Amino acid sequence: MPLPTPLQGIRVVDFTWVRAGPWAARWLGTLGAEVIKVEWPLNLDTLRQNRFTVPPGVEPGPNSTGQFADTNANKRGISVNTRTETGLELVKRLISVSDVVIENFSSRIMQRWGLGYDQLKKIRPDIIYVSMAGFGHTGRYHWYGTMGPAAQALSGLTHLSGLPGAPPAGWGWSYLDDTGGMYGAISALTALRHRSATGKGQHVDLSQMITGITLTGPALLDKTVNGRKARREGFPPGNRTVWPGAEVVNNYRGPIAAPHNAYRTSPGGYNDWATIACLSDDEWQKLVKLMGNPQWADDRFETIDGRLEHQDEMDQHIEKWTKTMGKYELTEKCQAAGIRAMAVQSSQDRVDNDPQLRHRDMYVPMDHPMLGPWKFQNAPFKMSKSPARIANPPPMIGQHNREVLESLLGVPHDELLDGYENGVFWPTTMDRYPYIEEALR
Amino acid sequence: MTSANGNPSNGSYGQDGVDIGGARPADLSQPGSLNGLRALEICDEKGQFCGKLMADNGADLIKIEPPGGEACRSFGPYLDDIPHRERSLSFWHYNTSKRGITLNLETKPGQDIFKQLAATADIVLESRQPGYLESLGLGYSALSADNPGLIMCSLTPYGQTGPWRDYVSSDITQLAGGGQMASSGYDEIDVPAPPPIAPGGGNSWHIGAHYAYIGLMAALYYRFLTGEGQYIDASIHEACALTTEGAIAIYLSTGDVVQRHTGRHAAPDMSPAIQFPTGDGGWLNTTRSGTNLTPARLKLLAEWFDQTGMAEDLTDARYQDPEVIAAENDHIVQVMKNFFMNSTLLDSFHGGQQRDFPWGAIRSMDEIVGDDHLTDREFFKEVEHPELGRTFTYPGPAMLLNGSPWRISRRAPLIGEHNSEILQGELGLTNSQLLLLAEGRVI
Repeated sequence: MPLPTPLQGIRVVDFTWVRAGPWAARWLGTLGAEVIKVEWPLNLDTLRQNRFTVPPGVEPGPNSTGQFADTNANKRGISVNTRTETGLELVKRLISVSDVVIENFSSRIMQRWGLGYDQLKKIRPDIIYVSMAGFGHTGRYHWYGTMGPAAQALSGLTHLSGLPGAPPAGWGWSYLDDTGGMYGAISALTALRHRSATGKGQHVDLSQMITGITLTGPALLDKTVNGRKARREGFPPGNRTVWPGAEVVNNYRGPIAAPHNAYRTSPGGYNDWATIACLSDDEWQKLVKLMGNPQWADDRFETIDGRLEHQDEMDQHIEKWTKTMGKYELTEKCQAAGIRAMAVQSSQDRVDNDPQLRHRDMYVPMDHPMLGPWKFQNAPFKMSKSPARIANPPPMIGQHNREVLESLLGVPHDELLDGYENGVFWPTTMDRYPYIEEALR
Repeated sequence: MTSANGNPSNGSYGQDGVDIGGARPADLSQPGSLNGLRALEICDEKGQFCGKLMADNGADLIKIEPPGGEACRSFGPYLDDIPHRERSLSFWHYNTSKRGITLNLETKPGQDIFKQLAATADIVLESRQPGYLESLGLGYSALSADNPGLIMCSLTPYGQTGPWRDYVSSDITQLAGGGQMASSGYDEIDVPAPPPIAPGGGNSWHIGAHYAYIGLMAALYYRFLTGEGQYIDASIHEACALTTEGAIAIYLSTGDVVQRHTGRHAAPDMSPAIQFPTGDGGWLNTTRSGTNLTPARLKLLAEWFDQTGMAEDLTDARYQDPEVIAAENDHIVQVMKNFFMNSTLLDSFHGGQQRDFPWGAIRSMDEIVGDDHLTDREFFKEVEHPELGRTFTYPGPAMLLNGSPWRISRRAPLIGEHNSEILQGELGLTNSQLLLLAEGRVI
């Protein structure tokens, strides 16, 4: 018998779209909550249109993108036009039997729908309402819009990443969509504990941009406490802790250390790199020994200040050595010697070449109605009694209208059929997919 | 009341009379969400942020450090740049709202005290190497024997099982294995032969901590339903591997491996630049290529640029045609670049946002500290350090829990600050027992 899930019995109304919001609800679903994604085909979730993730040979369409699939696994989905009276009424009925409402619209959309917290509370007094706007629902610029990259820029995270003297490298993906999603889930779960303890719901007002700032704490304190200039020579220090020649100050990635860098490895392909970090003189000596006590590694490098002073020379020598082997070979050798090292892993490496992720069942196989056999990302933790699980593929748009509307909300079958004729459950201007016709039979 | 773009607001006003969009102070009469829960933390840099999330949300969190304190008390920067284990700003940030005791877990008396504390705890969070606590007789089965509701989470670099479980790591090696580096870096045009870049700030630890916290909260709900505790084996490597947005989905879908691009999404193909320098030495992130210009949006831009005579020909009626906009994209981007170079970072950012362009100024702490919007949301928190007779400004809540506020209830504990309060006050040890523990280097 499968083990129970931790969030059994929790129902989530998921109005989210794009990445951060859906990712939040995805984790609640992966932990066993019943997540119902509310969509409208004329206002399609942009991930349903992601051009990079339609597999070759699969018919393009809103149910055919790999990125939507993983981001929305473990949910059910309904298509309802909330701009119609009937549609809005049904959404309110859904909320009345739910525990959590989560959305990532701009700051006043839900209020305009008549679904602001004050109204939600009337529908369901202990509702947990998580809003995930870019700047939050309060503050003078609450109506400003962000997507991941802009939020990262504004939060100070982008400024922390890159080489000195070059443009900001930033983050090569919407880190604050991933992490914004984390905070959506964190908010719901934290508020759920409050509800368990007190019986009370609440509104959690998230700002994607501000969650980023809380990830820059030491840098922020260095400014407020020490008055350190954030725009300074040698910052950000690339992959180093201190850029060669720059003032020796801590640049917010743990202890000042050298070597601390990415090095090329054999055979020299695009992602043939590995990282090595020696956080103490002792770890440095282990590396010297592993490299075969080369002549260049003389007493100039024995202490951290010497290694910082001669960092470029040291890194060039180390790289000559790392280039003689593959990144995994280097990783294994270093780890066997107690040296902190790891291959730079691409997406392909993680899926195909990483024995640890394979051992831990990181990519869970499951069939998807359009994509066929597919892999879904598992939770990064194992719970001994109530594990997270990949239970079902993402909803095709409007897939679960009948079971949610009829079985859960008690909508009579003929009213359901009417809703398809008058634009409540499907746009009258759009053909219905075969799975929708089938479900209505 | 409407704001500049026509959005209704709740019409509340800050001290300077500016509409602050309904911002209101958190109701600090209400306890935090985790009020009534006790958590023990045995963590270095890998887990301390998860502990902070619990402590700022109201848990009674006792941080258990080795005598002399955790090694990460030696991470700079330091107060006034004077290195000292009580002056680490990094430690300060990650350990707010916690109490702290010192305890040598490798001694029998230390283990006994820890077991007594664990018997009073709801949660134990630890980030020691896999098997370490177990080897001391302090694993989950021992601790939960008389406390079946106990939830214990081990947050470690690679998890408790598997071929890499004993691998050692640091922030940069986690970001390498997790895929952050393979997605971050530069186009050749910006940096010749560019290396993959590990984004700064210690974010592998944040990524691991967020998921550990999620696991803990889920376990708390399960305990609420069943009364049962459990053990959570959390892996920073897996958490990082999950945190590269579309890179995995792209590979699974098409077999394409993403390439790194300056300041924007790694992608299977080349894409136009989205970061532009501003006249005051800053950089503006325009979020997406081409800025999705419709004729109406282009008109907004042209009218804005025209105010300073920088619109060139964009005010021309021929640009009210999507085909012309598409054909002239390079020229339009050049006009934008010229405008930004004659404007400032913050003017470009606000001007764009006020016209519904979701742009972001690449801000440093120089711009973030004191920001009006953050101030409206009471983001900056004054935290008292009584031993120094000083108060410092900290980053506040990551989320506004309107019913059970996040709050920093105290500055990070000094080394062993609460030894007496907890060991004598709560566990009932005598003065002389405490003395013997101290002289025996147990505390």
